[in-house]
Amino acid sequence: MPIPISLTWFGKKRSAAPPPKDRSRLRVGIPKVLNIWSTHQFWVGFLTALGIAPENIIFSSDTSEEQYREFGKGRGTVDCCYPVKCISGHYGELLFGLKKKIDILLSPMIYSLPSFLRGHVLDTLTCTRVMAGPENIKAGFLKERDVFAENGVIYASPFVSLGEPAVVPDQLYEALKDILQLDYEETERAVEAGYRALEAFNQKMRQHSREVLTWCARNDRPCVFVLARPYHMDPGIGHEIEASIQAHGFPILWVQYFPLDDDLMDWLFGQEIRAGRIRSPFDISDVWPSSYSSNTNEILWGAKVAARCPWITCVIRFSSYECGMDQPTYTPTQKIVEATGTLFFKFGDLDATKPAGSIKIRVETIVHYVEKYSPEIIRRKRAWLPDPCPLLPSPEPVTQTLEPETDVARAF
Amino acid sequence: MQAVAHYTAYKPRPFTREERQHVTILFGGLTWKHERLIQATMHNLGYNAQPLPNIRRSDLDAGKELIDVGACCPTIFTTGNLVNFLKSEVARRGRDEVVNKYVFLTAGACGPCRFGQYHESYTMALDGLGLRDFRLFLLAQNQLDQGAAAGGGLEINLALSLGLVWAILCADVLTDMEYLTRPYEVVPGQTEEVLRESIEELYEVFRNRPIQGREGNKWKILGWHYLTDYFTDALERVRKKWEAIEVDRLRVKPKVKITGEFWLQTHEGEGNYNMKRWLEQEGAEVIPPPVAVWLDYLLHSPILKLEKRRRHERRARLKIAIIRALEHIFHRTYNRFRQALGGLPYELPDQEELKRLADPYYHYELRGGEGHMLVGKALYAYLHKKAHMICELSPYSCMPNTMSIGAMAQVQGKYPDMLYAPIEVKGDAEIHALSRCQMILTEAKKRAQQEFEQALAETGLTVEAIRAVEARHPELTRSTYRIPHYGYAGTAANYVVHIARKWRRALA
Ligand code: SF4
Ligand code: SF4
Repeated sequence: MPIPISLTWFGKKRSAAPPPKDRSRLRVGIPKVLNIWSTHQFWVGFLTALGIAPENIIFSSDTSEEQYREFGKGRGTVDCCYPVKCISGHYGELLFGLKKKIDILLSPMIYSLPSFLRGHVLDTLTCTRVMAGPENIKAGFLKERDVFAENGVIYASPFVSLGEPAVVPDQLYEALKDILQLDYEETERAVEAGYRALEAFNQKMRQHSREVLTWCARNDRPCVFVLARPYHMDPGIGHEIEASIQAHGFPILWVQYFPLDDDLMDWLFGQEIRAGRIRSPFDISDVWPSSYSSNTNEILWGAKVAARCPWITCVIRFSSYECGMDQPTYTPTQKIVEATGTLFFKFGDLDATKPAGSIKIRVETIVHYVEKYSPEIIRRKRAWLPDPCPLLPSPEPVTQTLEPETDVARAF
Repeated sequence: MQAVAHYTAYKPRPFTREERQHVTILFGGLTWKHERLIQATMHNLGYNAQPLPNIRRSDLDAGKELIDVGACCPTIFTTGNLVNFLKSEVARRGRDEVVNKYVFLTAGACGPCRFGQYHESYTMALDGLGLRDFRLFLLAQNQLDQGAAAGGGLEINLALSLGLVWAILCADVLTDMEYLTRPYEVVPGQTEEVLRESIEELYEVFRNRPIQGREGNKWKILGWHYLTDYFTDALERVRKKWEAIEVDRLRVKPKVKITGEFWLQTHEGEGNYNMKRWLEQEGAEVIPPPVAVWLDYLLHSPILKLEKRRRHERRARLKIAIIRALEHIFHRTYNRFRQALGGLPYELPDQEELKRLADPYYHYELRGGEGHMLVGKALYAYLHKKAHMICELSPYSCMPNTMSIGAMAQVQGKYPDMLYAPIEVKGDAEIHALSRCQMILTEAKKRAQQEFEQALAETGLTVEAIRAVEARHPELTRSTYRIPHYGYAGTAANYVVHIARKWRRALA
C-alpha cells in the first residue's frame, strides 16, 4: 500500500550536519497516531540529523477503518478510545503492509509536550493513554509470539519527556543507543535539530494562521475555530468535519497553530493582565486551575481566545468516544466560548465510523448560524477590545482574497 | 469600549481560622477504618471533621445526573456521594446553614488523569445543586507541608500530614488483620466486633496524640513520630483483643489478591460491588490492597525521576537523600506497626522489585492510575505465590487502567496459568462482573484444594493429626498466631507445612 505523506504536514527536512555513521539505509517506520500529529517534525529532524535518509522515514497512512480491519484486527487487547485503539492498525500496516520492509518501528511514549503554554501552566503532560498507548498496543503483537521479530523489525519505544528538552538527549540515548549505535554527543545534536525543525514548522503554521486571521479582519469575515486534540486532524479520527465547513467558504483555524505574536496577545488579553485578572496571555488559571495536561490546557486556552477574538464567531469542538480527558472540560469550554455569544458546536463521541449523513446536516446548520449571526458577533466582540487592532494596520480594507489550499487547510 | 463578563472557574471563598470552631470539614474516599482514624487526627488538631457516608449505589445516579457524561465511575460515585449528603443536609438544615457549616476537603492535584480534574465534576455538581458558594478544597497528596489553605482555616502542616499518614498505616495493618481472620473465624461476627473495638481504641489514641499541632519544630515532630512507642504500644494492646478470636485455618480457601485503580481497589462497599465481601462470601480469603503501597509509590517515584535528572536538576543528590530518609522512616514505621500486631499484616512489596517485574511490559515512568504497579503487583503475587488469583478492579471509562490491562495481555501470554480476573466496574453491571469473577474463582478453589492435598501428602499429615495438636495447643487456633509463608499460596497449605515443621514433637 502506498503511504501518502502530505509534504506540508509530514514533510521532511534534511539536516545540515553530516552524519557520523552511515544510517542512510535504515528504514524507520513511525505510526502516525496521537501526539505524533503535533511532534512529527521533531522526529523527522532528529532522525535525519542522525543520518537516516528522509525517504526512509515512513509514516503510516491516515487512520481508516480498512487499515484497522486489515492490519490491526485481533491484536486489540482492550476496548478504549478509538485514537488509541486504531494504533494496532498503524503498527500492522508498518509491519505487514509495506512493499519495502522497515528495520525499526519507532513508537515513542510521549510523556510531556513542548507546549506554548509551558511555564504558564502547572505541567504539559500528555493524556495517560497517549503516553502508555504504545505499551498497550505492543502487547497485542507480543502476547502469542513476537510478531516484530518474526518480521525482522526492531521495536523501539523510547519514553520521552518532550516538554523538558534538557532530559530528552538522555532519554533517547538510553533507549536507542544499541538500536542505532548512537553516541551521546550526536544524540544531543540530533535532539537539538529535532526541536529546531519542530519550532520552524510551528512558526510557519502560526504565520499562516495569522495571514488567515488578518484576511478575516480586513474583510470583516468570520472564521471557524477548531478546539480539538492534534490527532483530530487525522481524517480517520476527525472525519474532516472542518473541511466540510471550509467548503462553504469559511476559513478554519486550529487552536494548535493560533498566532502567538505579542501584539495580538496583548490586544486580546492585555486589559485583563493590567486588571490583575491573569498574569500573562497564556495564564489559564482563571478558567482551569489544575492545568496539568498539555492538550487539555491548549483547548481551554483556545476557548478563551475564541471568546475574545472577534472574527472567530464559531467554535467546533471535537471529542473522541470514551475520551476521559475531554469529559471534564465539556461544560467549562462551552461556557467560556458562549460567555461572549460566540457560537459553539460540539461533535462528541467520534469513533471509527463516519456518520456522513448526520455530519452533513449539522454542517449545514452550523453554516446557517455562522452566516446569520457572524456580523453581529464580530461587531459586539470588536467593541470590547481596544483600538488599534494589530490585524488592521491600515484603515483601508484589503481586497485580496485568501482561499486556503486543501492540503494546507488540513493543517489548520 | 464596553465591559464583558468572561467565564471564571469556581474559586472557594476563604475558610478562616475563626471559623474552625463551628465549621465541619467533610472528607471521604477511603474505608470506614481509615476515615475514623483520619477523623481522630483532625479532632486531635482541633478541627471538626466528619467522613461522608459510605458510598451507595444511589450515589452513582446522583453523580450521573449532575456531571458531564463519560466520567469514570470513581468520579461519578464520589461526586454523587457529596451531592447526596449535601442534598439531605439542605433538606434538614436549610441551604445557608449547609453552605456555612461545612467545607469539603478532597485529595486532588495529581496530574494527568481525571483525578487531577475531579474538582471540575464537583463544582459542576455544586452548580447543579445551586450551592456554588459551598467551599471545596483540594489537598495535594504529595506534599506534607503545604501551609495554610485559603483563609488559614485549615493548615496542612507536618503535624497534620504525619498524623494522617500514621492513621492510614494503622488502618492498613488492621485491615490486613481483618481479612486474614474473618474467613477463618469460628464464631461468626467476632472479627467484626473486635475490629470495631480496635478502631475505637485507636481513635482515642490518635485523638489524644500528645503533639497537639502546636507551632512545633518540624524535626521534633518528625523525630517524635519516628521514635515514639506511643502507637506501637497501642497496637500491642489491640493485638490482645485479637487473641480472643478463635480461627480454623484448615478451611481450604483460595487467596485472592485485589489490585486495580486506587479508589476502586481500596473501597469497601457498593462502589465496587462490595467485591471483597462478595469474594469472602464465595469462600475466598482476600488480600486487601493497603493504601501504604500507594503512598510508598508516590514517595519512591521521584527518586527514579531524580536519578535520571542528576545532571539537570539542582541538588538532585540531596533531594534523593532526603526522600530515601523519608522512605526509611515510612517503612520502619509500617514494619513496627506490623510487628506490634505479631508480624501478621503483610509486608510492603519492594518498589524496586515491582518496577523490575513490570519493566518488560509497562514502563515505570508512565503515570496515572496505579502506573506500572498494576502489572508489577500481579506478577509479584503470582511469582512469589502470594495468591491463587488476582482480581483487578478497573473502573468503567478509566484512562490509565485500560492501558495497563492491555499490557497485561502480554503477561498472560507469558504466564498462561496465572489466574487473572480483570473486572470492569460500571456501577450497574454487577451480575455480569460477579459471574466473570466466579468463573476464575472456581479454578482458584481447585488450585487451593490441590495445594492443600499436596501439602498433606508432602508432610504425611492428616487433618485429624493436626486437630489433635490443636487440641493440645490451643494457641495455634488464635487469630494472632503467625503462619509463615512456605511457598504455598493458600493459608491451609502453609499451615499444614508449619505444623509438620514446627510441631513435630507434638505430632509424635
Ligand atoms: S485524550 Fe482522550 S481520545 Fe486522546 S488518548 Fe486520551 S482518552 Fe483517548
Ligand atoms: S485513574 Fe481512572 S478511575 Fe481513577 S480517577 Fe483516573 S481516570 Fe478516573
